[in-house]
Amino acid sequence: MIKNLHRIEWFVGLVLLQVLILNQMHVNGYATPFFYIYFILKFNSKISRNSLMLWAFALGLTVDIFSNTPGMNAAACVCLAFLRTPLLRLVTLRDVDDAFRPGIKTLGVAVFFRYTLLTCGLFCSILLLIDTFSFFNLPVLFFKVLTSTLATILCVFCAELIGRRNSEKRF
Amino acid sequence: MKNLLDFFLKYNYWFLFILLEVISFVLLFRFNNYQAGAFFTSSNQVAGAIYEMASNVTGYFHLKTINDDLVQKNVQLELQIENLRNALLGYTADSTEIEKLKEDALNGYSLYKAKVIKNSLTHADNYITIDKGEKDGIRTDMGVVSGSGIVGIVYLTSSNYSVVIPVLNSKSSISCKIQKSDYFGFLKWDGGSSEYAIVKDMPRHSLFSLGDTVVTSGHSTVFPAGIPIGTVEDITDSHDGLSYLLKVKLFTDFGRLNAVRVISQKGQDERLELEQRLKTNKK
Repeated sequence: MIKNLHRIEWFVGLVLLQVLILNQMHVNGYATPFFYIYFILKFNSKISRNSLMLWAFALGLTVDIFSNTPGMNAAACVCLAFLRTPLLRLVTLRDVDDAFRPGIKTLGVAVFFRYTLLTCGLFCSILLLIDTFSFFNLPVLFFKVLTSTLATILCVFCAELIGRRNSEKRF
Repeated sequence: MKNLLDFFLKYNYWFLFILLEVISFVLLFRFNNYQAGAFFTSSNQVAGAIYEMASNVTGYFHLKTINDDLVQKNVQLELQIENLRNALLGYTADSTEIEKLKEDALNGYSLYKAKVIKNSLTHADNYITIDKGEKDGIRTDMGVVSGSGIVGIVYLTSSNYSVVIPVLNSKSSISCKIQKSDYFGFLKWDGGSSEYAIVKDMPRHSLFSLGDTVVTSGHSTVFPAGIPIGTVEDITDSHDGLSYLLKVKLFTDFGRLNAVRVISQKGQDERLELEQRLKTNKK
């Protein structure tokens, strides 16, 4: 119960941060950080795929409602949640049985970086691919994905470093 | 049978995944339909209220530059009015004539004040949310302009908020013309910079030059004729070679849009209703 309340706090906080501040951030139309997926990245590794996907869908749809893109973020989030377990298994060599919360502390910098790179890259590719349906321009799309991924990773690592100080706050 | 059930149970997450993706894409493509519900957009109550609060704060940040622009514009307009008045006095000895002209300019249209509470520039399909809705008299298909030029067309309305399709949207198509020569085309946006749009279907024999002003044509009920859009920056041939493609530098700076006006033509409802009746009769 407390756990869920904590999650909802994070949920609301990340959505507001994303729609009010981060969505307005861009360099000439490039490099928009999609930091709200931090919510999906930080779920405990033991959580079932189904509940992770439902959380991701709710998260994506909420961001969508605010940014007038119904379905776009939701589709990308669900896809990310679906592929998170295999990706996590790909980057970690540890026994799948013990539960852990992905982070620099539990995985180490190198492994966590690989995990963030894969998940953020995947998410940005899907999201921006759906976004640019109307005018397909491969170099622009590629550059957008690249810059947005870098911006997102930067945000995630900042959050990790801040989170390390008050590490008792978990969800 | 048991194997089949086992299979379904084991791979149940696949079904949830497909279900959620299908819902997402249905929402995505339904939104392209005109009658999509306003609930899943930022014109719903909660999202609208949050954006309104945020814009009450951020609205102050640009006030200085906006003020500068307004002062500049005011001075320009005052000078222009002075010149025109003098010119007009030369033609007509009667000064009441001028008052009448002023009234005629906006005759048949009413203006509603509104404030932009949510704006985007970087998507392929950008939308703007404004803080006025059906309660204030805003209806779908009304035109939206800013102090410097055209903004877009009202797309969805809820009771207190509305979503506007600005020029910066692949769905936007606005009838426009070259101010000097009256040749007309369609204003579209092809992505990329928010400062430029393109005019399509400009006939081969039309006369214009770089730097000419493009204005609305007044061929629809949405905008009256003569609202400034931008200046011609570049001229190229269209893909089929049958018409010109003009690159237009927009007057409106979408990056810091704040106060806008919604234009409604008096009798627009009546005209729409009439056209609607014609459609149903045909069926």
